[in-house]
Amino acid sequence: MSDSALAARTPLDAYGRTIGTVTLAEIAGLALVSAAVPRDGDEAFAAALAGGFGAVRPAAGDSALGTQPATRVLGMQPDQVFILFEAPDPDQAVPTAAAALGSAAYVTDQSDSWAMLRMSGAGVRVALERICPLDLDEQAFPEGRVARTVMEHLSVIILRDGPDSFLLMSPRSSARSFRHAVELSVENASVP
Amino acid sequence: MSGPYRLDGGALDRSRRLAFRFDGRRLTGHSGDTLASALLANGIRLVGRSFKYHRPRGIFTAGSEEPSALVELRSGAYREPNTRATVAELFDGLEAASQNHLGSLRHDLLAVNDLLAPFLSAGFYYKTFMWPKSFWERVYEPAIRASAGLGRLSGEPDPDRYDKGFLHCDLLIIGAGPAGLAAALAAGRSGARTILADEDFVMGGRLNAETHEVDGGCGTTWAADAVRELASMEKVRLMPRTTVIGAFDHGIFGALERCTDHLAAAAGKPRQILWRVYTKRAILCAGATERPIAFGGNDRPGVMLAGAVRTYATRFAVGAGQRVGLFTNNDDGWRTAVDLAAKGVRVAAVIDVRDRAPVAAVPDARVRMNSQVTATRGRHGLNGIVLATGERIALDCLAVSGGWNPNVHLTCHQGGRPVWREAIAAFVPGGRLPGGMAVAGAAAGAFTTAAALAGGHRAAIAALGEFGRPPAGGDPPVASDEASDVTAFWHVRDSRGRAWLDLQNDVTVKDVAQSHREGFRSVELLKRYTTLGMATDQGKTANVLALAIVAGQSGRTIAETGTTVFRPPYTPVPIAALAGRARGRDFRPIRLTPSHHWAERQGAVFVEAGMWLRAQWFPRPGESHWRQSVDREVLQTRGSVGICDVTTLGKIDIQGRDAAEFLNRIYANGFARLAVGKVRYGLMLREDGIAYDDGTTARLGDHHFVMTTTTANAVLVFRNMEFARQCLWPGLDVHLISVTEQWAQYAVAGPNSRRLLEKLVDPEYDISNAAFPFMACGEIRVCGGTPARLFRISFSGELAYEIAVAARYGEALMEALMAVGEEFDAVAYGTEALGVMRIEKGHAAGNELNGQTTARMLGMQRMVSKKKDCIGNILSERPAMNREDGLELMGFTPLDRTEELTAGAHLLAPGASAETANDEGWITSVAYSPALGSSVGLGFIKDGHARVGETVRAWDALQGKDVPVEIVSPHFYDPDGERLRV
Repeated sequence: MSDSALAARTPLDAYGRTIGTVTLAEIAGLALVSAAVPRDGDEAFAAALAGGFGAVRPAAGDSALGTQPATRVLGMQPDQVFILFEAPDPDQAVPTAAAALGSAAYVTDQSDSWAMLRMSGAGVRVALERICPLDLDEQAFPEGRVARTVMEHLSVIILRDGPDSFLLMSPRSSARSFRHAVELSVENASVP
Repeated sequence: MSGPYRLDGGALDRSRRLAFRFDGRRLTGHSGDTLASALLANGIRLVGRSFKYHRPRGIFTAGSEEPSALVELRSGAYREPNTRATVAELFDGLEAASQNHLGSLRHDLLAVNDLLAPFLSAGFYYKTFMWPKSFWERVYEPAIRASAGLGRLSGEPDPDRYDKGFLHCDLLIIGAGPAGLAAALAAGRSGARTILADEDFVMGGRLNAETHEVDGGCGTTWAADAVRELASMEKVRLMPRTTVIGAFDHGIFGALERCTDHLAAAAGKPRQILWRVYTKRAILCAGATERPIAFGGNDRPGVMLAGAVRTYATRFAVGAGQRVGLFTNNDDGWRTAVDLAAKGVRVAAVIDVRDRAPVAAVPDARVRMNSQVTATRGRHGLNGIVLATGERIALDCLAVSGGWNPNVHLTCHQGGRPVWREAIAAFVPGGRLPGGMAVAGAAAGAFTTAAALAGGHRAAIAALGEFGRPPAGGDPPVASDEASDVTAFWHVRDSRGRAWLDLQNDVTVKDVAQSHREGFRSVELLKRYTTLGMATDQGKTANVLALAIVAGQSGRTIAETGTTVFRPPYTPVPIAALAGRARGRDFRPIRLTPSHHWAERQGAVFVEAGMWLRAQWFPRPGESHWRQSVDREVLQTRGSVGICDVTTLGKIDIQGRDAAEFLNRIYANGFARLAVGKVRYGLMLREDGIAYDDGTTARLGDHHFVMTTTTANAVLVFRNMEFARQCLWPGLDVHLISVTEQWAQYAVAGPNSRRLLEKLVDPEYDISNAAFPFMACGEIRVCGGTPARLFRISFSGELAYEIAVAARYGEALMEALMAVGEEFDAVAYGTEALGVMRIEKGHAAGNELNGQTTARMLGMQRMVSKKKDCIGNILSERPAMNREDGLELMGFTPLDRTEELTAGAHLLAPGASAETANDEGWITSVAYSPALGSSVGLGFIKDGHARVGETVRAWDALQGKDVPVEIVSPHFYDPDGERLRV
């Protein structure tokens, strides 16, 4: 066997850039799993989520924080959440989540499926106006809201994780196009 | 600057002098000018030539409705033709040029067309240029194109940036005149999220062009104060230089914002943004457009709309002439005479068609009531008019007012048809308005300032009430009702010379009459026959006038005659703005495989597969033809081992207590009894029984499967399965999620594939043939602990595996595979070699699964299990899909081994003529087979298996080929499958 361990490469190669008042930064190294709720298993799932991650089960479109600082549960659809958390071993995202949730959820690894980009700063909403079709007004999309949408033909999960901060997740294979689309929006919207 | 035409006052910043050029001439204006006002201030009236007759043309209006003053702006690649000088904001260094002339603007050689006018009337090109037939394309059309047309394109790519965007609001207010400002104040003060959009660069609408009072003070000042107050409100977004171009479904509007058109350079920022505005309610406060009266020679530069002449004097401090006359049928027109006189401009005459007392006193003017203008005098500009009485009056500007038309356009974008209101002799919004839209002010036919202010305020309060927001901020502003009485009057019958309706398309009253005589009587036909109301202005000043003429011709009322349909956009939108940022490389997203960067370093040639870029082959030094690379990749794989990135195949994670049952219903063949640790090939049918996708599914646990689909159908299969899960069988406990992006997956194929993998797979995993036989799968670790999945499946016909790791390790795994493969002379192969090997092996792919293929045609009829139900099972039993003599997938080899087969060739019997009745099938896929040393093909032919050994012809008219071929088994290579089981 080969004794050289495989080197990991993140979808955006640790990209980070500040343009005007907006900072873009790749978020890497977190574990992300989907957890689907077995039929008739809502109660058991809520209990497992509370026990395993210390989070209240969010409705689709909402998110909930867990006890660990990086843990956030994102309500993706009526019978599915995504759990974003810090796994002790990034290669063990599924076993870690499965251990926490037991048989109360079907867990699938999504850690490598999405390029994650945090977009923050005073100009963030003005920049997002150029690609995000959703209404990101504080009343309509308050902190903690999550949604699936499309930006420049690309599937995007958007989470508001601060007054002027959003976490965007878009498929890994098109990460370069996605980064370009976001970057261009910030450039176009920034004040010269 | 000052000069004979520049007046005092106005909304100009006189401290800022702006230099610009028109047709190369150096001129100056001020900040706050438009190109049109600056040209008039410099005494320039002739600004272009007309479309068809090359008549001299001047500035006709002061707004976006301009039909006449079309110019080219900027230079080089930035040059933009057909721009309306009336909305072009002046900036320092602006270059403008007149258009549509041969030779100079004053001495246009093509003005000869005007002499030929009798031959160029409406529909002339439908009647002439008929012979000789071949002349149309080669002579007539090029000649017409050269002499007509409006401006020149740069011929270069547009160097500007454009963008798009999305906005959301409670209330969109379209137009910032008195109605729009009153509405915005009411909405803003109540805290509603409000967008106020206006096409002008200064908000205020007619308040900036009139001398009206609002709240006891100057109307212009009131407007400026209102804009200041609105700008200070957090929930109000002011969008000047923004035209709302269309009202679309569900309260969505399109709006074009011109961000840098008023600047000398865009500084890398988008020139224009096309916004999609999501609204709860909208109030259209788009105002009204003045219309002219048709009379002889009314297209001469110097003949202008009365409201525009007033705008130039009041807002832009420009006298459009030094001896101005007025021709009107309404009270509003008189205000031009009064305002101009007050500004010190000489008003020489007022001609009113109505038989009544003068509306106002105009000092020193000849006032002629119950009178009409029948002709104008002048060559490149007006120098006098002739009245019906024969009286001649010297003038250099004639202000004409035929009344005002509410700007109803956006009310019609969802099928609404305007209705005729006799009291104002104009169409007002009617029928079904776009959802959530109200109309206020002049756009609703309320022409006075008082009515506009009150109407806007009222509409906003009503809209806010509909979503439960109480009004705040008190009463609407107060103004008085100006005199606005109008008597419908369209056309001076006693005109001498042509009376023009549409200045942009050179359409006269005579053309409309002729169209009617020739049977083109519906307004829609009239428009297309005469070109009335086409092009950049869409007939904003011409349409109603023409309708009145048509109505008069046909003896119907205007209401009965109706209007043409108004469609978006309200004003022109550059194609580049519609494209936005989707240009060139950024036209659409690109998906890259995990080994992409590695493949780039190897010099791979890539091919687009949907949005994916896949390595097609990897040329080596000395290889000058792609076939050399592909043949080598195939031979090396079959001889030892090859590696191919197959990440693009769709991967779907399927979990649940009923996952096996679910798959049993999705696939035509059975999956319920697939053992854990095993993979099975599966075929999917559509509801109509046609085969649409295939792939393999591995069982990783009792309740856990992972499916692969074809690259092309990855999304479709997932969508269909999600539909089945949610809608067909909601009672099953099954969950799906795409893991296409999660795993980097490589095919490792060839007799040495196991030996290669053994060097990477951690030692505790036994992958020997006994422990890990053909169609086994398992979760393993590689390279000292990295989790991986291994599948023993083969698309090439060789001993082969697919190995998957988390995508982050994809590139490193590719490097590791190639590194340990060195001792086996391992080769990376691309999609082309992949295709060659699957054709040699007789596997169906996209070319075979073309949406017409049944399981029987593929030789898989026995896979459609009759022991269970599945999607497509019933309809796959239709008799015509199961004919004994039906098409069957077969192999084809040329009798002459040096001949090349082509895909798409039709199969004909020897000697049969090439016609549909003799068509026996077609070739679907071809490749040069290095294993067989000849071209081979797969294809469908009637009753194929019974005809093995028979000779037919592969006939391809496109390639000019007619190749005798032998029908053979589709499994060219290792037909018994011994190689993949070793």
